Amino acid sequence: MNRLIVLPLLLAFTSCVQSTGGQLVEFSATASGPEDAVAGQPYTFTTAAGYSVTLTVAKLFVGAVYLNQSNPANYTGETACILPGIYSGEVKGSLLVDALDPRPQAFDVKGVGTDAPTLAGELWLTAGDVNANDEHTEVLSVKGTATKNGTSWPFAASFTIGSNRRAPASDALPGSNPLCKQRIVSPIATSLTLAQGGTLNLRVRPKKWFESVDFSQLAPSPNAPGHFVFTDGQSSLQPDVALYEGFRANSGPYDFFFSPGH
Amino acid sequence: MSSPLGSRLLAGSLLIASTLAVAGEVQPPKVLSRVEAQVPVGAAAPEAGHVLLEFTINTDGKAVDITVIESAGTAWDDASKTALSQWVFRPALHEGVAIESRTRLSFSMPATTEADGVSDAGPALSETIDVDAGTGSVGGIVAEEIDAGHPTHEMSTVVIGRSSPRQLGTSDFRFDLGEQRVVPRKNAAELLKLAPGILLTNEGGEGHPQRIFLRGFDAREGQDLELSIDGTPINDSGNLHGNGFADTNFLIPELVESFRVVEGPFDPRQGNYAVAGSADYQMGLEQRGVTVKGTFGTFNSQRLVLLWGPNKQSNHTYAGVQLGRSDGFGQNRGAQSARAMLQYEGTLSEATTFRIAANAYASQFKTAGVVRQDDFANGRIGFSDTYDTRQGGDVQRFSLSGDLHNHEGNFTNHHQLFVTYRSSRLLENFTGFITDTQQPQQTPHDQRGDLVDRDITALTLGAKGYGRYRARVLNRPQELEVGYSARFDITGGQQQRILAGPDTNTPYRKDLDLDSKLSDLGLYADGNLSLLDWLVLRGGVRADLFTYSVQNNCAVQSVRRPSATNPPGDQSCLSQRDFGVYREPTERVSATGTALMPRVNLLVGPFKSVTFSASYGRGVRSIDPQFVNQNRDTPFASIQAWEGGASYSNRLRDGTLDVSGRAVVFGTRVDKDLIFSETIGRNVLGGATTRLGGLLQGRVLGSFFDVAAHATYVTSRFDDTGLLVPYVPDLVTRADAAFFGNLPFELFASPLRASAGIGTTFVGRRALPLGQRSDVIFVTDVNAELSWRFVTLGIGATNLFNTQYRESEFNYTADFRTTAPYPTLVPGRLFTAGAPREVFFTVAFNVGGAS
Repeated sequence: MNRLIVLPLLLAFTSCVQSTGGQLVEFSATASGPEDAVAGQPYTFTTAAGYSVTLTVAKLFVGAVYLNQSNPANYTGETACILPGIYSGEVKGSLLVDALDPRPQAFDVKGVGTDAPTLAGELWLTAGDVNANDEHTEVLSVKGTATKNGTSWPFAASFTIGSNRRAPASDALPGSNPLCKQRIVSPIATSLTLAQGGTLNLRVRPKKWFESVDFSQLAPSPNAPGHFVFTDGQSSLQPDVALYEGFRANSGPYDFFFSPGH
Repeated sequence: MSSPLGSRLLAGSLLIASTLAVAGEVQPPKVLSRVEAQVPVGAAAPEAGHVLLEFTINTDGKAVDITVIESAGTAWDDASKTALSQWVFRPALHEGVAIESRTRLSFSMPATTEADGVSDAGPALSETIDVDAGTGSVGGIVAEEIDAGHPTHEMSTVVIGRSSPRQLGTSDFRFDLGEQRVVPRKNAAELLKLAPGILLTNEGGEGHPQRIFLRGFDAREGQDLELSIDGTPINDSGNLHGNGFADTNFLIPELVESFRVVEGPFDPRQGNYAVAGSADYQMGLEQRGVTVKGTFGTFNSQRLVLLWGPNKQSNHTYAGVQLGRSDGFGQNRGAQSARAMLQYEGTLSEATTFRIAANAYASQFKTAGVVRQDDFANGRIGFSDTYDTRQGGDVQRFSLSGDLHNHEGNFTNHHQLFVTYRSSRLLENFTGFITDTQQPQQTPHDQRGDLVDRDITALTLGAKGYGRYRARVLNRPQELEVGYSARFDITGGQQQRILAGPDTNTPYRKDLDLDSKLSDLGLYADGNLSLLDWLVLRGGVRADLFTYSVQNNCAVQSVRRPSATNPPGDQSCLSQRDFGVYREPTERVSATGTALMPRVNLLVGPFKSVTFSASYGRGVRSIDPQFVNQNRDTPFASIQAWEGGASYSNRLRDGTLDVSGRAVVFGTRVDKDLIFSETIGRNVLGGATTRLGGLLQGRVLGSFFDVAAHATYVTSRFDDTGLLVPYVPDLVTRADAAFFGNLPFELFASPLRASAGIGTTFVGRRALPLGQRSDVIFVTDVNAELSWRFVTLGIGATNLFNTQYRESEFNYTADFRTTAPYPTLVPGRLFTAGAPREVFFTVAFNVGGAS
């Protein structure tokens, strides 16, 4: 009789949550180009400014991916490069993403994180220290042709982010725009939950990089007559600014998806 | 050849030690076992008809400090003293608690003209044993019944010790160390492991205080455990490392006579920080004379102890000095320290004693800190290595205290004054390069490192005392105690961050700079209501008033719209409001709060040797000064605790075997628990938590062994989510065994005494954040000693099986730049290494005294 009483009590006791909550997880990470691209083929799209753009090269260097439980876009104050929320995932391995290839391209390291809900992501576009002045990895490489009203602008861009991109700072707030802010695309709004053995996919949409670019204002290439180039550095030309801002935009070019593992 | 002679007591030798003591009067000591005296060979006839001895019966039931009041000749005196020193007594009881007592006893000398001696106390009280045939007609030495009252030498028992508070519920644990001293313990804090449910870890190095876990609480370095030494508080109020921070490293373990642990806030005497409970060390030195003890061990550890217990003085008069150093078992773990403890106990009258104590302690130590599990697994760092060799600290502590204790008639008064000065610096780096985020007004910078440099200076003045009155009401002994406590703390603390780099000592940011004046005034009333022979109600109520006056010297650390012409730049403590409007960088806040805490214990003892108890109590933990807000109620942490238990205590086999055991179920709720924060390296206020658990404890003490063991299981959960509280262990077990006795042979006509001890700790897999569990801890320590005359030699080992274990484990975000260039921003497993096997040798000399 006593056993009949003890057993349910024991079961009730042991059925309580014996955990502090949450789990550490390990997952795979990939990146891919747009769904409508064809591997090995140029990718053509029309921008909001009315240009028809055909890309033959579109490569993005992603040094690392970080995920955060909070989306600081909701905050009113300025945020530092390291977000104030709790990080829920990280992929600390670089990948040169072929943004014209829709197939998953794997990062060479596994990602780690927690199973907490993720609301924001970050792309670290650097191969070195995020604040280093002398880090000049080519983070964006594009080639293609833009056409509008029968006029074509063959173009190329090769962007680095280093001392050439340091933003001017005020005397009062000298630290308000450090170099790391140039190198980190953040926050990329998302909503996912990592799980053990799953796969995080970064979808890159190069069309969004060019959305605001006015190709007609591109500077001619000094080395290739008839071709145009984007300036890798401080420039006031609209195309230079628009592409630099476009490929670092936290809304549009990049989306995160997570596929649970089996 | 000497003759075995002796006598036996006829009755009253068997002690039934009930834990339910209701009598208010002093109960005299009783003889439990006696050893026959030996008639001295070749001695002249006794010069008198008896030898009258005066001696102290200590709380262990041994006769010590024996002096001859009336002599029958040296040989006969010595024979009587030798016999008496081997007697075993049940010590005198004062309010149910063993105390020291001073008493007299006479030994009747044999009349050489008689064939057999006959006790002048009468055959009903003592019995003469026949003389050995070889001694001819010499009669036996007869010891008289201690309680009988000698016709010519009136027996008197004078209480010379001090009573302890009455036994509360089942979780009131008191430990006289006795032979358990042989079990190796590195410091006085480790003595606490004799109490159920206590786990000690140390992620801060040899000079760093132990982190204490008790019954599902992470008490850190004492924040949730009220610690004291003979009533003088040890916890630091206002310590930036943690409010209630307690460093017991100033104690010399050899001078700890006993200690009491009350698990739970069930005693009205318990004050601030008694969340998980309280522990009080009682200091004393049984071994009189001068003792010099040296210990040498692995990792170049050396320890020298000098103790002096003046003869003819109380065990509570002593002096001790300890010097120690060690290279430590891995990188950056060296430590050196010195401590001195002095105390004098004197008498002002038969009813009044006083004590004056002075303690000094200084230590400097290095700290290895935490290691990331993935770095260790990938060979980037060794198990016992460090990321930051600048971690460590230094401590200075000086204290002076005095008390007056009076017991006269139905009144007992006790008053105590103390003053303590402490200074400490701790450098710790839990996170590497995480917390130094770029602020807009700062010059652009990379992470400069998270090494915390915390400096604290504190002066404490205080007084405690009580008056206790006993009376017979309803024909039963009742008592009422009213007590007070008052302490005033002046503390100053700064916390800075140190720039990363080898041997760099440059602060780059100030986190905190507080000057605090704190006071805690407490009053309590404690009653002992004896309702029936088997039913007692104990408890009362305590009230504390806390006041805070805190000057924050770094009140403003950021400004959203600084002056464009005079920006603050990298300064930590700003004197600007928006748009450069001037303000002082300081700000003072003051607050007051009160706490009312009822505590009650019901003890029921319907059967001999068995007591059931039920307890309820409320406790309080005051908050860190840095969290005090102006003109708002001080948000104390409030604790409610309950427990029910049963205890068994008996003395068997003619008093040669003590058996005791306890079983307890308990529950505790804290409305603001402390949760470890790695970013600032200490506990911070968290949500409400509740604990539910149980424990078993037992101890068997025989003539050649003392074995104690306990096991505690507890679950600690957050009230809102039901999730487990991280870091606290749910299963803690400990076993301590000591074996002792004389070897069956002698060396140069002197006995060889051997003792050996073993202590084993097993801790289950602790819950860690993010659903993780730590490894188990299983460590065994051993020690063996051999004593001959005035020399003692010992050899021991801690972590005998050389288990590689993680003393502390964590799950949090830390980046030590081992995977550059990308930082680690998600939580991962970190640990502090447990010590490998350490072997040590001890040699000790004692001269000029007897225990």
